Amino acid sequence: MDWKSLCWEDVEEGQEFLTVAMDVSCTTVIAGAIASRDFTPVHHDRDFAQGAGLKDIFMNNATICGLVGKYLADWMGPEGELKEISFRIGTPCFPGDTMTMTGKVVKKYTDGDQHLVDVEYEFNVPEGRNCGGTGTLALPARAH
Amino acid sequence: MGQEFYEELKADIGREGERLVAEDEVCKPMIRHWCEAMQDGNPLYTDEEYASNSKYGGVIAPPQMILTWTMPPLWPPVERPPHPFEQFLKKMDEAGFYGILITNVAQKYLKPLYPGDRINFTYKVTDVSPEKKTSLGVGHFITATFIFNNQKGETVGTQSLTVLKYRIGP
Repeated sequence: MDWKSLCWEDVEEGQEFLTVAMDVSCTTVIAGAIASRDFTPVHHDRDFAQGAGLKDIFMNNATICGLVGKYLADWMGPEGELKEISFRIGTPCFPGDTMTMTGKVVKKYTDGDQHLVDVEYEFNVPEGRNCGGTGTLALPARAH
Repeated sequence: MGQEFYEELKADIGREGERLVAEDEVCKPMIRHWCEAMQDGNPLYTDEEYASNSKYGGVIAPPQMILTWTMPPLWPPVERPPHPFEQFLKKMDEAGFYGILITNVAQKYLKPLYPGDRINFTYKVTDVSPEKKTSLGVGHFITATFIFNNQKGETVGTQSLTVLKYRIGP
């Protein structure tokens, strides 16, 4: 597999990322919770979740962080570095939802010897926006 | 009650709890487990040959895994010493703000995590909003910041969590 990385020079402000759609199953929700060592019942026990007034179990925040990081890292390639992410949480992501991920570059700048890019992204599920926020990435630069 | 209670809450901002250490070192099995669950094929996390030839010199953990290493065990359950954030939430429960909802998450990544690293962390409440009316009920937005260090005492990352603690109903 050939893993390409974006160079800072090739990125433009306003550039949009490819839309990625992920089908979320019961297994996706539970696997993410357990892999992030989150054993809170609302993320794996349907009876418990429904008792708490929710439609079903739902994706935990650590898994959302995992998918945000993956979406941005897949866009920039393995030589880019994730510096920070920040997002608001909205509608839960339930088993059976398709999570649609979109994003774009909003600012391109340097800070010392770092070549940085600020991005915005949104993850939507059929019932609304699951999360939306910003991130900062450091990309490799051709010119030094 | 509102203003007085709010002043009481604000007085607790910045108090840091005891530093807690992860049970396990950063390790490849947990990294692979995470990558399988997230369907994350980034070679830096699971391809030793690729990662050895990268600037990292070897496999690293996905940065977003930062909180995972210090999550409390499922079994046997441990009683962690009362921490400022938990005490804060308890104070709000006692004042009738039973509802809880996470509203914002932020993570900063300062250094890569390598297999063998042992993470420790502390956390504190860093912000409290005045009482606000929301669609769920009246409540306060509380932000807690977690600071993660490695075994060398270097800060490897931070996480902020904003939580709405609210009184259920109008």
